[in-house]
Amino acid sequence: MLEMRKLSILIILIPFFALAQEDDLLDEIDNISTEDEYEIAAFKGLKIVNFESTKMVSKKQLFFVVSHRFGSVKTGIEDFFGLDQAVTRLNFIYGISDGINIGISRSSFQKTYEGSLKLRLVRQGRGGSPFTVVVFNSVLMNTALEEEILPGLKFEHRLSYSTQALISRKLNKNLSLQLAPTFFHDNLVAFNGQENSQYTIGIGGRHKLTKRWSINIDYGLHLNRAANSPFKNPLSIGFDLETGGHVFQLHFTNAQPMNTNTFLGQATGDWGNGDIFFGFNLSRVF
Amino acid sequence: MKSVNIRLSLLILVLVHGAIASLWAQEKYIDKNGIVIFEASEQLFEEVKATNESVTAILSTETKQIASLALIKGFHFKNSLMEEHFNENYIESDIYPKAKFKGNLIDLNAVELDENVTEVPVEGILEVRGEQKEIHTVLKIQKIGDIISITGEFIVTPGDFAIEIPKIVRNKIAKEVLVKLDFKLAKK
Repeated sequence: MLEMRKLSILIILIPFFALAQEDDLLDEIDNISTEDEYEIAAFKGLKIVNFESTKMVSKKQLFFVVSHRFGSVKTGIEDFFGLDQAVTRLNFIYGISDGINIGISRSSFQKTYEGSLKLRLVRQGRGGSPFTVVVFNSVLMNTALEEEILPGLKFEHRLSYSTQALISRKLNKNLSLQLAPTFFHDNLVAFNGQENSQYTIGIGGRHKLTKRWSINIDYGLHLNRAANSPFKNPLSIGFDLETGGHVFQLHFTNAQPMNTNTFLGQATGDWGNGDIFFGFNLSRVF
Repeated sequence: MKSVNIRLSLLILVLVHGAIASLWAQEKYIDKNGIVIFEASEQLFEEVKATNESVTAILSTETKQIASLALIKGFHFKNSLMEEHFNENYIESDIYPKAKFKGNLIDLNAVELDENVTEVPVEGILEVRGEQKEIHTVLKIQKIGDIISITGEFIVTPGDFAIEIPKIVRNKIAKEVLVKLDFKLAKK
């Protein structure tokens, strides 16, 4: 019975001990879970190199992207490793929302105007979807075609379309991969034997080397290229440098054009004999 | 009979515990949508400024303690690339998702708080990226109705939290980061 009483006293004292320890206010509010957050920065640029990435322009932001591909480095000193034969593309992209982007661009390759619509359907999240899924659509207008050279040319011959699904996954802090099945259609093809409707599987990835540098690679496997087509599958290797507000992308590629239809359908360079192009993408945020 | 006694005494114990606990219950005030802004802009360069409008803060008027917690990803910049870069490369918010503060309002006299602004010194520890930094500053406190308003500011440096600013952007980011806070705490 005596022991029982001792025990009772002890039990009565428990709340005092408990109160003495319950003095850490921080613990009371430190209960926010960070588990359900979205993954960020699978890719830093809107493009991996030539392929669109799953990166979106944020709501109400305007990106101005200048892309440049010099002429083939193979020509050597004669035109200064391609300086004289450059192709430039100016591209404005606006974020209507974080998941809806519209863009308009002009490329000096075949004097091409382009309009694009990029939609994010799913975001990769911890404990959520394992992938980010984005759809990219574009319409191209080739204004370099001339009726004197191509009698019977109609307006619709200038148009091309493409639609692609971009499926990316950030595997870890440093490595992100992307798959990009693509359908594109040229109303007028550059090579006679080529079917107008074309299919491609794009693959790409980004690997961080340091906090500010990453190596990026993308490749497009054309599934129905005409047997004797002079055009090649585009393979591009580059580096991203990010400084906080900007991303600079420097790369080598065997495709000089930069729109989806044109780099997939009309890449003329060949890595095998050094016929490649040096280029860069620069972005400015407004 | 004996077991009834034990049950009864247990019941009494529970009641006594409850009574003591409620007697000792501290007066606490909390804000779950507190605002913290930090700025490290340099003139002529792009603004380096972020705002977090979902900071939690809690104040115990009894013990004069204050604590606050902010999710790093809750800090939003104008330029989303900058925000990503801040999370990924400066704070590494995947590894260190939270910033925490714990401090004491040494001279706080809760009973005397009213609509007039009182300046109360605070000293405490701010933890970011797993690194701790002592903070000493003066907070402006007033009480309007049941709401305690706390505003204030202090200065930290990236070095305080072992954040290295690379050479190429060194002149675009201020050496000193001004942190401002604005809490409206309601009784918990």
